[in-house]
Amino acid sequence: MSAPALLAPGGTLEMARVAVDEGADIVYVGPLGWSRRPYESEMTDEDIRAAIAYARENGRQVRVVLNTFPSPFEMDDFARKVELYAAWGASGFIVTDPGAIRLIRGLVPDTLIHVSIGSGVTNSWDAEFYREIGADVIILPYRWGEEEIAETRCVSGIGLEVFLFETVQTGKICPGKCIMSSYLKFREWLDIEGKATSGSANRGAKECYRVCQTNWEFSSEDDDPVKLKLRRDARLMLEQLPAFIELGVECFKISGRERPVPMIRDLVRFYRKALDGIAAGQTDMSVYVDELATLRERWTVEKRKRVNVLMDRADHYADAAPTLAVAQ
Amino acid sequence: MFELSTNVASPQQLRRGDFSAYDALYLGEFSCLSYPNNFCAHPEFLADAVAQVHEMGKKAYLRLFAVPSNHDLPTVRNVIKTALGLPFDGFEVHNLGLLQMLKEMGNTKPIHLGVFGNLYTDATARVVKDYGVTRVYPNPELSLDEAIYIRDNTPIDVLIPVHGKIPLVVAETCFIHENSGGLPGEDCKFKCSQEHWLTRASGDWSLKDTGCMTLSGADLCMLEHVDKLAAAKLNAFYVQSHGESPDYIATVGRIYRDAFSRAFAGVAEGDVGPQLEQLAGLAKMGLCNGYYFGDAGRRYVGRA
Repeated sequence: MSAPALLAPGGTLEMARVAVDEGADIVYVGPLGWSRRPYESEMTDEDIRAAIAYARENGRQVRVVLNTFPSPFEMDDFARKVELYAAWGASGFIVTDPGAIRLIRGLVPDTLIHVSIGSGVTNSWDAEFYREIGADVIILPYRWGEEEIAETRCVSGIGLEVFLFETVQTGKICPGKCIMSSYLKFREWLDIEGKATSGSANRGAKECYRVCQTNWEFSSEDDDPVKLKLRRDARLMLEQLPAFIELGVECFKISGRERPVPMIRDLVRFYRKALDGIAAGQTDMSVYVDELATLRERWTVEKRKRVNVLMDRADHYADAAPTLAVAQ
Repeated sequence: MFELSTNVASPQQLRRGDFSAYDALYLGEFSCLSYPNNFCAHPEFLADAVAQVHEMGKKAYLRLFAVPSNHDLPTVRNVIKTALGLPFDGFEVHNLGLLQMLKEMGNTKPIHLGVFGNLYTDATARVVKDYGVTRVYPNPELSLDEAIYIRDNTPIDVLIPVHGKIPLVVAETCFIHENSGGLPGEDCKFKCSQEHWLTRASGDWSLKDTGCMTLSGADLCMLEHVDKLAAAKLNAFYVQSHGESPDYIATVGRIYRDAFSRAFAGVAEGDVGPQLEQLAGLAKMGLCNGYYFGDAGRRYVGRA
């Protein structure tokens, strides 16, 4: 059994370098307007080139996140981006749109293609579909446990990737199956690199306003309204790692391109230690319990801060243009 | 000339409804297998249903569950197996794994890719076409221009929703069940038979919730643009009616049947004010134009 890879976020060039320094095997970075994140968590092409160079100098890899659902009018630009990053040494791509997966496979036959969480996979046959159209690795849904992983391993020969957080089994958890944000708020953007986008985060227009994580009133005909959020916070995951590795999970992914660099630094350091420990025969994860509790608390605090920022933008987005993009 | 379709979840709705304005019916409630007597989960209802729809002179498409987990796949497979032996005019699929399953089961019926199939590009339309898809429902976020581009450049038939609430979210768990004290695995009490709304007072936002699906608060309404749709040679139109009353389905269908009949006969649309007022009267949270004209889904643009 080969050691699984640790994927870490590179929301900025600084974060990408820190992730490499702390032991990430692969860093993922997103170009402006193509990776479903706000402008401050995506990179210019110049920074992506520098991140790839830094990773390669240190024997690591970079995957480029091109996981928007592009407009049909954007496919030529999409193809140019793929060829550019592959020529700079990116070892693979993280993609959502099935047509884009097939396009990349045709353009760069030997690259590695990860299916993004936005593909909305719900069962093992989905995995087989993506393998058949040319993907190499699929990120598994947040809710999945050992049974689903084992079944997917049986049904499909595709590589398996798991997020290093777990989520409670309630609420609206529907990556790739949600367009609430753009129904409620819409914005047009022109990035400093010239990409014009209108619409939702799914399509590259920067912000999903995380409307599922703010307070709503829920009412029916008969009952009094109740105040609630549409989903609950996820939390960092650890205990499952030895079993998941045993089942053949090849990649573990830390999410958080929007988190502060020190948070990512500490997460990469922590999970590097945990994965190395498992590789050396450590199976009792309780030795990390205190460290994990502290990180979970920080993770939750930072996530809530981020939601507040995004909801504030949703309310006031016309007030000021951000530094890296121009609101139309 | 054109096809106007809507959806029917169960045998009871099929019996009670007036579908005279429609050319085709999508049978099944794709967001929830527990929905009472859902065609998506009850193969025993399919033979009678397809016969009944055909007797009405309409096409019958069978919807498959949109978010099947591994646990649900035997149920879905059983429904497909039954339907393959019946004269359905096609399947509607939202889950790409089910495309794979239909291929493996030797399906030769036409397949329509549903709203949660996430069709954004002609590149993807070409991929699913290889799996037998003949019609796609572009993701609601696409503009009309993008939908037409996909039709022409794939090429493939596109379904254009013209009225009703826009499906925005589908989840694998039921929000109504969870928030009415229901426990995971506990029997459903079908509280979705009442209307549920999500509102956010500070932002003037409203959404309709049906448990596993969240819909737009406002009703998509394209009545003022029927001429434009016909001129673009679009010819498959859809009224989204999940959770609506029989009166809603019949009234909306009649209004659009008349409008499209005139448009395809080359008769100018004229003043649709009275019909628009009637449609607005059926919409609790107002009307919208969705994303068709490059704006947030909840905005109503009108002819201007």
